[in-house]
Amino acid sequence: MRHQQIKNALVRAAGDEPDAGAVSAAAIEVWLRIAARLIPVIGAQGVDVLFRRALVLTSRSFVWLAAVNNDEDADALPESLRRCLASQEMALAAEAGAALLSRFTDLLASLIGEALTERLLEPVWTVPTP
Amino acid sequence: MKNKIAINSLASGVPGLDEILGGGLPEYSLNLIVGPPGSGKTTLAHQIMFALATPERPALFISILGEPSLKMLRYQQQFSFFDDEKINRSIRFLDLSSDFESAGLNQVLVRIRQELVASSPALVFVDSFRAVNWAAQNQSGEVIDMQSVTQKLGILLSGWQATTFLIGKEIDEYSLHPIFTIADGLLSLEQSVYRNSMVRKIQVMKMRGQAALPGMHTFRITPEGIKIFGAALASDGGIRVARDNGRRDQVNLSMGNPELDTMLGGGLPAGFSMLVAGPSGSGKSILASEFLAEGVRCGEAGVMVAFEQTPSQLHSLAMDELVRAEKIGLINTRTLDLSIEEIVQRLIEMIDKMKARRVVIDSLSGFELAVAPCFREDFRESLFHLVAVLSGRGVAVLMTSELEDRYTDLRFSPYGSAFLTDAIIVQRYIEIDSRLKRVMAVIKMRGRNHCNEIREYDIGDGGIHIGERVLGYAGLFSGRPTPQPPAATVDEQPLARCGPSGGPTLRNGVTPADAMWAGVTPTVAKWHRIYPTPNCCAGRTSNS
Repeated sequence: MRHQQIKNALVRAAGDEPDAGAVSAAAIEVWLRIAARLIPVIGAQGVDVLFRRALVLTSRSFVWLAAVNNDEDADALPESLRRCLASQEMALAAEAGAALLSRFTDLLASLIGEALTERLLEPVWTVPTP
Repeated sequence: MKNKIAINSLASGVPGLDEILGGGLPEYSLNLIVGPPGSGKTTLAHQIMFALATPERPALFISILGEPSLKMLRYQQQFSFFDDEKINRSIRFLDLSSDFESAGLNQVLVRIRQELVASSPALVFVDSFRAVNWAAQNQSGEVIDMQSVTQKLGILLSGWQATTFLIGKEIDEYSLHPIFTIADGLLSLEQSVYRNSMVRKIQVMKMRGQAALPGMHTFRITPEGIKIFGAALASDGGIRVARDNGRRDQVNLSMGNPELDTMLGGGLPAGFSMLVAGPSGSGKSILASEFLAEGVRCGEAGVMVAFEQTPSQLHSLAMDELVRAEKIGLINTRTLDLSIEEIVQRLIEMIDKMKARRVVIDSLSGFELAVAPCFREDFRESLFHLVAVLSGRGVAVLMTSELEDRYTDLRFSPYGSAFLTDAIIVQRYIEIDSRLKRVMAVIKMRGRNHCNEIREYDIGDGGIHIGERVLGYAGLFSGRPTPQPPAATVDEQPLARCGPSGGPTLRNGVTPADAMWAGVTPTVAKWHRIYPTPNCCAGRTSNS
């Protein structure tokens, strides 16, 4: 359910004629929307730590994601990730983006439960794409 | 005449807290919740927040270097009060740890003010205040006047018409800290560890405008959250009144044994407490069970508080059935960290639920073991409270007490509980003709002329059967009676005799006093008029 919501959000954000650039930008956009909902609740540090963990776990399936420098500053991390995604083919970038965000929300749910995760992220899925 | 301001009181949602606060949380008050790590501060704050927060009365939970929010959410949702439906509807979390780290405490104050302006929360929780204090004092480069910061925080929060809770870690120098002066309420939580038991305690150190219940109150953290035990003892102000009323309209409860009722001078009055003391195996529990079973027979529910036996061995089969049929409530506990308040609370809840008139505590020895070691010093005092609370409710309480098999002295209880009970029955083993026999006597019955005989009794299938007065021996309570010449065994105090069945026949059949007894029959008759054998099913027995 949540994984599907992530995919839907990514598709909407990528626009009608997606390419690798649009797909990677969409991944970052959705990610920032998720982070914006979570930072007030669990703090920027909490979000950052979970995201880095998700990145490490996802790079086991998408080895090239290891190119994202995990030591990067929290502010610089999204841009580093976007560049890495954009360097791949569109389908692969889309798949990796969705896998990363799914992994992140799964991690969150494993810590604070499905119900609360759903409650906190609800607005992310309902925000219309500009 | 000017109207005084009426302070709205909020029900905290924490069982027992409103009672010890002296009636809920004052609206718009600034409260501190302090205590060492693990003492239950965050749980208390969350429980209050989830109970009070509504869409009309939204709550804001601000974390500044407290427990990491992720962990807090993870663990707090284990409690049943955690309702995730309320999150982002009536409860918002705000983690300002990053703001604090990057820009310092003044920035945090700015953010809090912005939040207050933006969302006007009615309830604000700040976790944690002591961390703020420490960090501000140690921040390099930025000199912060702690007094002004905490004062600002306090004034900011209370001025915004928000009921506020600051959660802090330690209270070492609390009396010196300005925030303790500004605060309207101060709740201190602690865990006391003694030997291998741990007891949680809460104290209302300050609550402006309310008569908080003084002293430390024990609490327990259960899957439902915090539960404070102190409320039952809090209401003992009315004890004497209730009891006096009880005396005016006294109801005598039958013990389930007509002989025993007669020995007591007419059963046990409601609201009275009785101690049954005796060595192991003397039949204390059976006597107690009969007391409860008789209550059920007369339509009166009872409660049994048991400590030492496993439930299956608890009582006779008949007793077991009564418990199963919910005619008798059972509180069986084997934990070793109880407080008396907790037992009183559970007991009162059970009494109210079952509308019970009779309570049995079997036994005080087990009770003392079940109470956490740190409370044992106060056991006697607490027992007094317990008896007072029960008697205030018009409940008759029967407590059993194990007597050491020591025959050289005459003792009734190891707790000095003898003085605080209204009635005492002592059971003993005696050795006669190379046989162990059981005897019992009524030692005390407050405000009544009771039987002073030492009576032999058996325990059979039908329960306790009280037989004759043991004659022809002296020194029965020493356990090793010595034969006495028959002439000396004549009862010289007919008033203290126990009715016809306890007759004056001497053990060896010689009845030198027969003639004399014929002469005192009117006295016996009169005595029976004064203390008629109770017949509980026939209704109330006048004792005036």
